[in-house]
Amino acid sequence: MDTSSSSSSTQSLTFYDFLDRMRNPASLDLVRSIKSFIVSFSFYAANTENDGKRLQDFLLTMEAAIRDHPLWAGASEEEIDCAIEGLEKYVMTKLFSRTFTSPEDAKIDQEISEKICLLQYFLRPEHLDIPEVFHNAASWLLAEKELQKINAFRAPREKLLCILNCCRVINNLLLNASVSENRVPGADDFLPVLIYITIKANPPQLHSNLKFIQLYRRQAKLVSEAAYYFTNLVSAKSFIVDLDAKSLSINETEFQESMQTARLAITGAQIKSPLALHKTEALPVPSTRGRGHNKVTQNEPSPLPTLDEVVDLLGQSDLGPSKGMQGREGNINGGSCYPFMEAEAGELTIGDVEKLLNLYKDVVKKYTSLCSAVRHLTVSKIEPSVPHLKGTNAQPTPPNQETNKER
Amino acid sequence: MGCSSSVPDRTSGRLAGLNSENGGVPDAKNLRVKLVLLGDSGVGKSCIVLRFVRGQFDPTSKVTVGASFLSQTIALQDSTTVKFEIWDTAGQERYAALAPLYYRGAAVSVIVYDITSPESFTKAQYWVKELQKHGSPDIVMALVGNKADLQEKREVSVQDGIDYAEKNGMFFIETSAKTADNINQLFEEIAKRLPRPSPS
Repeated sequence: MDTSSSSSSTQSLTFYDFLDRMRNPASLDLVRSIKSFIVSFSFYAANTENDGKRLQDFLLTMEAAIRDHPLWAGASEEEIDCAIEGLEKYVMTKLFSRTFTSPEDAKIDQEISEKICLLQYFLRPEHLDIPEVFHNAASWLLAEKELQKINAFRAPREKLLCILNCCRVINNLLLNASVSENRVPGADDFLPVLIYITIKANPPQLHSNLKFIQLYRRQAKLVSEAAYYFTNLVSAKSFIVDLDAKSLSINETEFQESMQTARLAITGAQIKSPLALHKTEALPVPSTRGRGHNKVTQNEPSPLPTLDEVVDLLGQSDLGPSKGMQGREGNINGGSCYPFMEAEAGELTIGDVEKLLNLYKDVVKKYTSLCSAVRHLTVSKIEPSVPHLKGTNAQPTPPNQETNKER
Repeated sequence: MGCSSSVPDRTSGRLAGLNSENGGVPDAKNLRVKLVLLGDSGVGKSCIVLRFVRGQFDPTSKVTVGASFLSQTIALQDSTTVKFEIWDTAGQERYAALAPLYYRGAAVSVIVYDITSPESFTKAQYWVKELQKHGSPDIVMALVGNKADLQEKREVSVQDGIDYAEKNGMFFIETSAKTADNINQLFEEIAKRLPRPSPS
């Protein structure tokens, strides 16, 4: 897992190195090829299978071109590799809006996310027979956070890294916990924990992200250990999609009742916690057009300056930097239609007032109508059975509290 | 989990756990092989692999030890090397439907059962049939009866293993991850049976 060990700063350095070389007049021929490849994408109707194949072919062609190129004369394998990584990131950042997800995929994303929301409400580690020794709230939270970062990146390599980092956290947990127990952990232990983490994390656009990585990550790099852990998340997704009472250590009636209770609970909780809505939103809504601030977790490399540079470099304006930024912000919030949730008072401008007021009205309207709906429901046994899930970002509040407040 | 008393010390290799995957371009002399492990939960799949990976003392070989993905390179007498990339699968029944995601593209499958558990032998036969139907046609299959050290509890006879393997054109061996019996032989035999890419 070479990629995961290099820190994000080293990573962006190599990307800058790639951009630097591209700026060299000697690389004009390469820049032309790249530019014409990107432009050529707009000539065809989007077709994921073809698009993936074309990108892979292009990367191979370019790899050959770079190997023979005077600018890379005498370069080590590692340098060549960095150049192709830079190229993948550059091209896929430019083609992101065209290649990432489709209406059909977005629908699948939403279905998965909604199912996970229900499962979050009652699923416990015991339902997947995860042994006590692997219960570790801190590690689990860390693994979830890694997975949730997936939409903070556009390059397939970086998205894949989020998955590998998540798996690494789980791996360390299993290995550490096993030493004291004198046991040997294996896939029998790994997969259930990964599934549980995936359900707790409800990573944004899970299906679209997996498909994107599969199609657009350099094929030579989606092998071995990376391929193994990627496959595990694909398999976790597949398990969740097909999940029913028989998939868990739970009886049929209890499962059905829990799902039903969760459905009612979530309808109610969404009134209170608009964040829960973010989680089920499949498509990023770029409702933050023109706003200057960009909330990114501190330790993530921001691709924004990079995008600017890229645009300078190729003098291409069709995918301007501002567009990229809005897409990104929407993504980070998991597709937020409540863009002010993370905002500080000091950041607001006069121009935000109108938007805020509209959102406020919208929320109040939803709140009142849903409240009255909930009051009419006989919600008898709603009790979140996963107390440790509380406090992670979008845990729905149990509606019985909700209704109590109402009275 | 079946290899209690003699669990090899993992702590030493833990930090190096997930190390790099750019061990050179594979060629006719240096094969890179995807090996998938199938078998019931608790038969000792991960113990066998850990024994194998930890038991090689070539200081130059790059080892990867995760909980469920491990890799190890062995050198053969004809001066070729084989790097095994070992994909462990979850053996619990509820994950059975996911197996095709793992064995797709595998060059080798090692199907493990526990000689003290007839159920695990039945499960092994299920995996053999499944791979015959859906695995790559030229996949190398090995049938492994593990926990051979537990002779007094044996419920699946050696002959049953041999017969079933023979009928299905598989390589058969009984191992003990606990005593390390036959562990290296298993992987060396597999390496010998791999189809060699013709030098081009």
